[in-house]
Amino acid sequence: MSTAWPHEETIVALATPSGESAIALVRLSGGECARLAREIFGRVPPPRTASHADYRDGAGAVVDDVLFTYFAGPASYTGEDVLEIGCHGSPYIAERVLEDLVGRGVRMAEPGEFTKRAFLNGRMDLSQAEAVMDLIHARSERALEAANRQLRGALGKQIATSIERLVGVVAQVEAYIDFPEEDLPTEDRGRLRDDVAALRAELGRLLATAHYGALLRDGVRAVIVGEPNAGKSSLLNRLVGWDRALVSPEPGTTRDYLEEARVLGAHKVRFVDTAGLNAAPGALEARGIERTLERAAEADLFLVVLDATRPYPTLPAAITDRLTVANTIFVWNKRDLAGPGTPPVEWAHFPRVGVSALTGGGVGDLESTISGLIDNQRVTFDGDVIAINARHAGDLVEATQGLAQAEAKLVDGGADELMASDLRGALEALGRIGGRVDHERILDKLFASFCIGK
Amino acid sequence: MAYVFQGKVFDVIVCGAGHAGCEAALSAARLGADTLLLTGNLDTIAQMSCNPAIGGQAKGHIVREIDALGGEMAMNTDATGIQFRLLNESKGPAVQSPRAQCDKKAYQLRMKQTLEAQPNLLVFQATVTGLLRDGRRVLGCQTNLDIDFHGRTVVVTTGTFLRGLLHIGKNKNEGGRLGDFSARTLSASLLEAGIELRRLKTGTPPRVLGRSIDFGRMEEQRGDTRPTFFAFHDTRENDELFHVEHSRGQQRLGWAPGTDQISCWITYTTDRSAEIVRRNLHTSAMYSGEIEGVGPRYCPSIEDKFVRFADKPRHLLFLEPEGRHTDEYYINGLSTSMSLEVQIELVRSVPGLEHAELVRPAYAVEYDFAPPTQLWPSLESRKMDGLFFAGQINGTSGYEEAAGQGTIAGINAALKVRSTEPLVLGRHEAYLGVLIDDLVTKGTNEPYRMFTSRAEYRLLLNHASAELRLLTHLRRIGLVPAVRLARIEAKAARVWRWLETLERERNAGITWGDHVRRETPELQLPSEFVAESESVRDEVLYRIRYRGYLERERRNIERLTNLEHVKIPASLDFKTVRGLRKECALKLAEFRPATLGQASRISGVSPADLSVLLVLIESGRSGT
Repeated sequence: MSTAWPHEETIVALATPSGESAIALVRLSGGECARLAREIFGRVPPPRTASHADYRDGAGAVVDDVLFTYFAGPASYTGEDVLEIGCHGSPYIAERVLEDLVGRGVRMAEPGEFTKRAFLNGRMDLSQAEAVMDLIHARSERALEAANRQLRGALGKQIATSIERLVGVVAQVEAYIDFPEEDLPTEDRGRLRDDVAALRAELGRLLATAHYGALLRDGVRAVIVGEPNAGKSSLLNRLVGWDRALVSPEPGTTRDYLEEARVLGAHKVRFVDTAGLNAAPGALEARGIERTLERAAEADLFLVVLDATRPYPTLPAAITDRLTVANTIFVWNKRDLAGPGTPPVEWAHFPRVGVSALTGGGVGDLESTISGLIDNQRVTFDGDVIAINARHAGDLVEATQGLAQAEAKLVDGGADELMASDLRGALEALGRIGGRVDHERILDKLFASFCIGK
Repeated sequence: MAYVFQGKVFDVIVCGAGHAGCEAALSAARLGADTLLLTGNLDTIAQMSCNPAIGGQAKGHIVREIDALGGEMAMNTDATGIQFRLLNESKGPAVQSPRAQCDKKAYQLRMKQTLEAQPNLLVFQATVTGLLRDGRRVLGCQTNLDIDFHGRTVVVTTGTFLRGLLHIGKNKNEGGRLGDFSARTLSASLLEAGIELRRLKTGTPPRVLGRSIDFGRMEEQRGDTRPTFFAFHDTRENDELFHVEHSRGQQRLGWAPGTDQISCWITYTTDRSAEIVRRNLHTSAMYSGEIEGVGPRYCPSIEDKFVRFADKPRHLLFLEPEGRHTDEYYINGLSTSMSLEVQIELVRSVPGLEHAELVRPAYAVEYDFAPPTQLWPSLESRKMDGLFFAGQINGTSGYEEAAGQGTIAGINAALKVRSTEPLVLGRHEAYLGVLIDDLVTKGTNEPYRMFTSRAEYRLLLNHASAELRLLTHLRRIGLVPAVRLARIEAKAARVWRWLETLERERNAGITWGDHVRRETPELQLPSEFVAESESVRDEVLYRIRYRGYLERERRNIERLTNLEHVKIPASLDFKTVRGLRKECALKLAEFRPATLGQASRISGVSPADLSVLLVLIESGRSGT
C-alpha cells in the first residue's frame, strides 16, 4: 500500500506581504504544480525560466498578466515541485489568484509550512531554518492574535455551533455503522438530509463573509469614474482632504490614475481617480481610458461623477455592466450651479448625492452614503459581524463540499461508509478553524444519544 | 533464596495466559525467543470470561490483523466457531466485519494444544506475585510457589485479576473472575516499581440453562449459510487448521469449520423488567456506591440502560450458546450487579425465560489497570526497561483488543532481546495501530473498546486487506513462515498488477476502472481477471471503486507522515524548551509523546509548537 503514494499535498501562500509591494508573489509547493501550470497557462516551461502569460481563472476569465516560474523538485525552495506566480501588487489580484487556486484543490499553507517542508526535505540547514522560524513566529503571532480575536468572538461561536451540529450528524451516522447489532431506532434519513442541508446553508452564509473580510483587510477600493471635466479629481481632493490630484478646468487633465487612501468610519477606503471617459478620445486619452477600465475591474465601489450642468452621459458598457445598486453612488457635482437631472430609468433607484467639489458642500452626505454601502456588505450572525480570511474560506469550501457530497448520497443512495467519510472530511475542515475534533467527542455524543450496549 | 526455575534466563516471560498472554507467548516463541508462559491455572487458558463470541465491528478487523501478523486467534476461532455471521454487509466493504460464536471449551483446549505444540515455548502453572528488578530494569518474576523465574523481558497480561473484586449486590468476593483467584500482591510490586495504577470496572450477565428456556417465544438468529472466516486461508497451509489436532492423533478437536452451526436467539426485556430494576436499584453494587471503578459506556449494565434511557420501553437481549457440549446460555444485554434474587426475578420477566434456571449469576468486577500513557508505542513500560504490558491491564476491554496487544507485545519483547527496532504500526496501517496509539498517547478513562469510527483512515483499513497493509512489516520481522510470506507477496503483486492494468487499459473509450466506477451494466471484465482468486478480485474492485476516497485518505496521511517519522528524544525536558507555550509544554510533559505525529494529536498542541519542537530535535540530531 505504501508503494504508490501520490506527491505531497500542494499548498499555496502569498510570499510577499499583502498590499505592500509592486509585485505580489504567489508561491505553490507540491506534486500538483506542473498540472496546475498546464491547466492555468497551457504549458509547463523549462524549470527555472520565467515566462509571461495570462492568468486565467477557472471560468476562463483573465485575472492578470503574470510572470511565472516552475522549479522541479528537488532543486527548489522546498525540495518539492514549486510554482511561483508574480502578479501585479494589487491585493485584489493576489486574492483572486489565491481564491482561484484554492478552488482548484490547492490548500492554503499553514504558517511556516513552506519552511517546514524545505527543512524536512533537507533544503535548508539549521541556522537558516531557525532564522526563518523566528520570523514565522513573529509573523504568525501577529496573525494569530488577529485570528484569535475572531475565534474568541463571533466566528468562534459560530464555528463551535456548526461543529456541534455536525458532530451530532456524524454520531448519528456512526451509530448505525458501528453498532449494527443494537436495537437502535429506525434510521431517519430524511431528517439526516435536512440536517446536512441546513448545516451547508449555515456554512455558506459564513463563507459569504470572506468578501467583507477582504474589504477589512485590504481596504475598500472606491473608483471614481465619469466624463472628462466632471470634477473627479476635485472630488478626490475633497475626499482625501488635500490636493492629491492636479486640477484644471481643461478636460482630460488626468491621463493616468491616482490613488489615495483614508479611513472612513471603520474602514480603510482607497479612492482611485481615473482618466475621464471620453466618447471620442484622442490616442493619448484612449490609453488613459483603457487604464480606467482596468481599475474599474478591481472596484469594490463606484463613484460615478456627473456634471450637473450637462446632460446624462453615456458610459462604456465595461463600466455600466458592473454597476449595481449595492456598489454605486451617483455623485452630482456642481450642484451649486444646477439641480440634478432625471436619471435613466435603470438607475432611478441608485443612491444619489449632490455635491459641490468646489465648495465642499454635500461631501459629508457622500461620505455617510459610502459608509452605508460598505456596512451593507457585512454579514451578521446574531448581531455580530463576522469576516473570515482566505484560510478560513479554504477550509469552509472544503467543509461545504464534503456536506454536499454526503447530501447527494443521502438523496441518490451510496455506501454509508463513504457518506461518513464525506461528513468526517467536513468535520476535519471545520476543526482546522475551530479546533480539532477527535473521535472521543463523536463517541461521547453517540453514547449520549443512543442506548448502546449488550 | 528462592529456587530459580531451571537455573536459566528466559528471553521472554509472559505472565497470564488469557487472550493477550497466549498471543504474546506464541509471537515471541515463533520469532525464536526462548519463551515461558506462566498461568495461575492451566485449565483456564484462553478463557472467554464474558460472551462466547469473537469479532464483530472493528474487533473482527483486529482479528484479521492478528492473523496477518502470524497470530492464532483467527485460526482458533475458525476451528472452534459454532456460528458465523458477517455484520454490516449493507454499509460497505470497509466497515463490514466477521463475527463468530465459539464453543468456549473447544476454544480453550485448541489454544492450549497450540501452546503445547509450539517450539521454544514452555507453559507452566504458577501465580506471579511480584517482579524481580534491578533499579529500572526487569529481571523476571516471583511466584506463589517460591520459585523465581528469570527473564530478559517480561510481558504482564493480568486481565481483571490485579486486585480483582467481584460484586453481586452487596456480596463481594476477591477474584479476577467468578471461581478464580485474585492477584493480590503484584499490584504492590508494580507500585513499588513506580508504575501508577487505577481502578476500572466491567461486568458480565447471568448464564442460564438451555433446557429451561422456551425458545418458541424468541426469534431465531441463524449463522450465514456461507460463513466468513477470520484467518487468511488463501495464504495459509491447507491443513493448518487441523494441524494441532492432527499432531495428537486421537485428540483431534472440532469439526469442519463453519459446518453444523448453532443459532442464537433474540428476545426483549418487558415493562416488568424495567419495574423490577427500578424497584431494586438499591441492591445494585453500581448504584449503591459499592463500586469505585469506572465502567464502559458501550456495555452498560441493565440498570444503567433503564436509568439513562428511561423512555426506551424495552431492551434487546441475545441468548448465545456457550458450546456444543454444554447447555449453558449467555444472556447478552443483561449485565448487572444487582443481588442474585433480583437477577432471578429479572431474568424471569423476559419472554422465553419465564422458567429459566440461572447457573451462574451476573456480577461486576473491579480491577487495577496501569494507565497506558506510561508505555512506549512498543508497549514497553517507560518506567521499567524490559517490562511490557498487554490487554486489560492497559485499560482495554475485549478479547480481540487484548490479543492484538499481546501479539505486538510478544513481538516487541522478542525484538528487544534481538536488539532490533520495535514494531510500531501506524494509524493508517491497522486498527492495532489506532488502538495502541490512542492508548499510549491519550490513555483512557473507561475500558477502551475499538470502534471503526476511531480510525480516521477507515476506508484504507478494510478487513480483507490486512495482509497487504502489513506486508512491509511481515518482510522485516519474519512473522510468518516463508511459504506464507511468498503467497502474500504473490497476492499483493497480483493486486497491484490488476489495479495498474484496469486503470490503464481501455474498453469502449474509457478505462476498465471507469467502467467499474460508473457501474456500466453487464460489464464483462477481462477474462484473465475474472479467473483470479476471489480475494484478489474483491480487493482490486474495492480499490477501484473507492479510488477517490482512498486517495483522499492517503493525502491526509501524507500531511502527517513526516511528523510520524520524527522521534522526540526520551530525555527531552519540554518545560525548558524555549518558544513553547507553557500550556502546551505542560500537556507534552504529561503525555510524553514519542513522535511529533503523536504530539500533533494531543489537543492543544498547535502547528507552531510542532515547528519549535522540530527545529529543536533536528538541532540535537545534527549536533551529535
